[in-house]
Amino acid sequence: MTARMLALVSDCYGMGGGIARYNQDLVEGLAEGGAQILVLPRHGRADGIHLPAGISQEPPVFNRLWYSVKSLWIGWRRGPFDVVFCGHVYMAPIAWVVARLIGARYWLQTHGTDVWESRPPLRRRAIEAADMVTAVSRGTRHILLGWVHLPPECVRVLPDTVGDRFVPGPPSNTLRDRFALGSGPILLAVGRLSASERYKGHEQVFGALPALRAEYPNLVYAVAGGGDDRRRLEQRARELAGESAVRFLGFVSEEDLLGLYRLADLYVMPSTQEGFGIVYLEAAACGLRVVGGVGGGSADAVPDERVGVLVDPSDRAALVAAIASQLARGKVDPVAVEPYRKAHFAAAACRLLARLMTQPRRRRGAK
Amino acid sequence: MCGIAGIFAYLDVAPDVDRGELARMNARMAPRGPDGSGNWFSADRRVGFTHRRLAIIDLSERGAQPMHSSDGTLIITFNGEIYNYRQLKAELEAKGYCFRSDSDTEVLLHLYADRGLSMVEALRGMFAFAIWDSRARKLLLARDPLGIKPLYYADDGWTIRFASQAKALLAGGAVPRDPDPAGIVGFHLFGSVPDPFTVWRSIRAVPAGSTILVDAAGPEAPRAYYSVAHALGRRSAAAGAGAETGRRQLSAAVHDSVRHHLVADVPVAVFLSAGLDSGALLGTMAELGARDTLAVTLSFAEFKGDRHDEAPLAAEIASRYGARHLVRTVDRAEFERDLPAILDAMDMPTIDGINTWFVAKAAHEAGIKVALSGLGADECFGGYPSFTDVPRSVRLLRPFRFIPGLGGLARRVLSSAIARGVRLHPKSAGVLQYGGSWPGAYLLRRGVFMPWELCGLLDPALVAEGLRRLAPLSHISAALQAGRPLGEFDRVAAMETSFYMRNQLLRDADWAGMAHSIEIRVPYVDPYFLAALPRGDVLAAIKAKEAVADVPQPPLPQASRNRSKTGFVTPVGRWMRDAGGASGDVGFSNASRAWALRVWQAGWTGSAAA
Repeated sequence: MTARMLALVSDCYGMGGGIARYNQDLVEGLAEGGAQILVLPRHGRADGIHLPAGISQEPPVFNRLWYSVKSLWIGWRRGPFDVVFCGHVYMAPIAWVVARLIGARYWLQTHGTDVWESRPPLRRRAIEAADMVTAVSRGTRHILLGWVHLPPECVRVLPDTVGDRFVPGPPSNTLRDRFALGSGPILLAVGRLSASERYKGHEQVFGALPALRAEYPNLVYAVAGGGDDRRRLEQRARELAGESAVRFLGFVSEEDLLGLYRLADLYVMPSTQEGFGIVYLEAAACGLRVVGGVGGGSADAVPDERVGVLVDPSDRAALVAAIASQLARGKVDPVAVEPYRKAHFAAAACRLLARLMTQPRRRRGAK
Repeated sequence: MCGIAGIFAYLDVAPDVDRGELARMNARMAPRGPDGSGNWFSADRRVGFTHRRLAIIDLSERGAQPMHSSDGTLIITFNGEIYNYRQLKAELEAKGYCFRSDSDTEVLLHLYADRGLSMVEALRGMFAFAIWDSRARKLLLARDPLGIKPLYYADDGWTIRFASQAKALLAGGAVPRDPDPAGIVGFHLFGSVPDPFTVWRSIRAVPAGSTILVDAAGPEAPRAYYSVAHALGRRSAAAGAGAETGRRQLSAAVHDSVRHHLVADVPVAVFLSAGLDSGALLGTMAELGARDTLAVTLSFAEFKGDRHDEAPLAAEIASRYGARHLVRTVDRAEFERDLPAILDAMDMPTIDGINTWFVAKAAHEAGIKVALSGLGADECFGGYPSFTDVPRSVRLLRPFRFIPGLGGLARRVLSSAIARGVRLHPKSAGVLQYGGSWPGAYLLRRGVFMPWELCGLLDPALVAEGLRRLAPLSHISAALQAGRPLGEFDRVAAMETSFYMRNQLLRDADWAGMAHSIEIRVPYVDPYFLAALPRGDVLAAIKAKEAVADVPQPPLPQASRNRSKTGFVTPVGRWMRDAGGASGDVGFSNASRAWALRVWQAGWTGSAAA
């Protein structure tokens, strides 16, 4: 594969977070397949970072107008490019313009909530102009195809990938003591505690704890992560589950996160609006069974009972039953998570790029 | 003729094929194939095929499906008939291919091995099939040139599922029932759902004359290998023929097509009305040596003894060609009794198919598996009023298109007048706005409801989205893209063939026939036949619709020619009108509207069971 790609992204190298991680995985996967990629981010510097062969990153340009100008300039002066990749739907209009002006194919990546709700006409037109759209989950693809008019074969799924460090390992008693998690069982949830993300279902789990602790008196629910909703959640935990049932761990380091996955007995976060649910996958990769929520893209990270179950968090009895049954089932077979590893992701990304390069250019209005 | 379905989990992360899901899809198609049922799963469980068999060619177990090649690398599940399979088999044998059966299915396997994707261009017949190429790890889905056999698919981004019926996909339990505004709007506009849309957003039809390849990156865009408009365009480029030559061409084309459509290892019957098209088929069958053919005619209790009763004249035609004649009488009570079963068997909403339901039912009762039908003759021979109305409308009204806003203004004024009680058909309000263009005039002629009426029937947001996605006039225009100018006759033929015939008549023939395990063969719907006919202007000049009466020897009786001018009347329109809840003295058009609403209210999307 010798495709030359201009990647217009919100962030990539030099930034943390799910989208930056995804973009890094994607460009590295494509570069492994032989693609030459120039990344133009709005955030994050790659200074001092050793980039894999085939990848280079421009300094970030935060200002929208200047970002657009620079996109056009690079597209014109640093080309030729075969593909313009757009890493976020907010930038779809400029990616569309650049691709058309330089005669390149236009590949748009969607992540989840970015295409679930906000549907301004210009963005819709920019999405509908894409030669290929990739979505991180089937749920996101389904929602997208509900409001944009694109031939379904143009919208492919490229699921999140799980890092190679997420593998099963021995539980750490040091961590157990440090976070005062007791003798367990330990239910774990990881994520931002934001007032805008109450769909993650923490409160519903609090409500289920009394029934669970009747059977498992030492059971605790460990909630890792911080955010503007933490204080309220702490209050709700006391009201619904009592003083000792929930541990709020705050922000945890990457190392501690891995240790927590290996220490816990079950991952419980019945979220109804995950774009994909990468945390489910990380947990499962470490051998942890998952209780997730019905809705959004969770079904892609928890596709069947080999990994866990999805429940309606508003059904407390079902939630209690799901947690109890999954606790009894032991660990996840690593084979179930293998297809989400980076090698598979890279191969899938390269296949999609090859498809994009060889398929006829899409005619506008084609059904 | 059979039922096929399959699942291919193409993305690494997709779960393996669910045997239970495939079994449910198979069970939903049971009437399509009462003679056998089979399943196949790849060793890695990433691919599964299922098949319901109606045995027509090579009745032995050697013809059972899914069928694999002798080396096991190719697997096929196939619905349809290949009429030139013996010729293809001989060609392949000459190249060294060895056959284990006398089935057309095995020919497809070897033909794929020999020619790959281009194999479809060699096939004469009606077909929908899937081939799994285990070496290339590719799935090929293919559908016949004119869309006789249906094939639907649902791709969720991880896994692709396909089936002969959309309702079989739903019955599997993994395909969502979310409505597709384009399909729903299309049904209310046309009376049938225009391909490739369905009323379910997750399900699409493989376009007629197309293939779809699926590999680990998912399905490719459909590749068209045949276009009606291009075929008509090529035909129009041929030298014009005189009337006598034209008649000879017509006769030769009918004989050739009927001969090919008689290939079977079971008796072939014919659906016989009092009209010329089916009579010509029976006469040609007799001329080609078919003996003791069963001719099945529908008769309606309401018409017994009056001039609309087709049975007496059909009996005369049957007698002339030495056929056994079966007259099956249908009355309103039977229609009402069958209505729930009709709506259940109806794979996609449609305002037609009732006659086919009853004639197929009669054939099944008589122990028949295969019958020829005159379907498609009107599209080829210019038998519909649209062949005169649409060109006249375009000629007269084209100048008004160039006055900006006039059509829309006239439509609003007339709609308002109609709403206040002026006795005009609601569609007439759109004459100036739509009548001056080919797609517009066709929509006016064929449309059940018009775009501006839909907001009174459906959620306005759904209508807006549906019209945006469907873009009905552009959709019709696409059927006219021939790469060269088409004459008036051919333009109408292209639109009738690509919309009314494909989306309504053929689809109805499939679900209504298969519900009774009857394979309906359509000799007038055949690309070879279409190409062998004279040019459209010649067909119009020789009045092909009437000239077909002289194709068989002896020709059809004079009485049937006279009757053809009175039109084809059934009480089904009245029953449908009543079932639809319309009242008063309304014409067939209004009956269609009422029936369309009744059909739609039967519940198609949402949580209802498939």
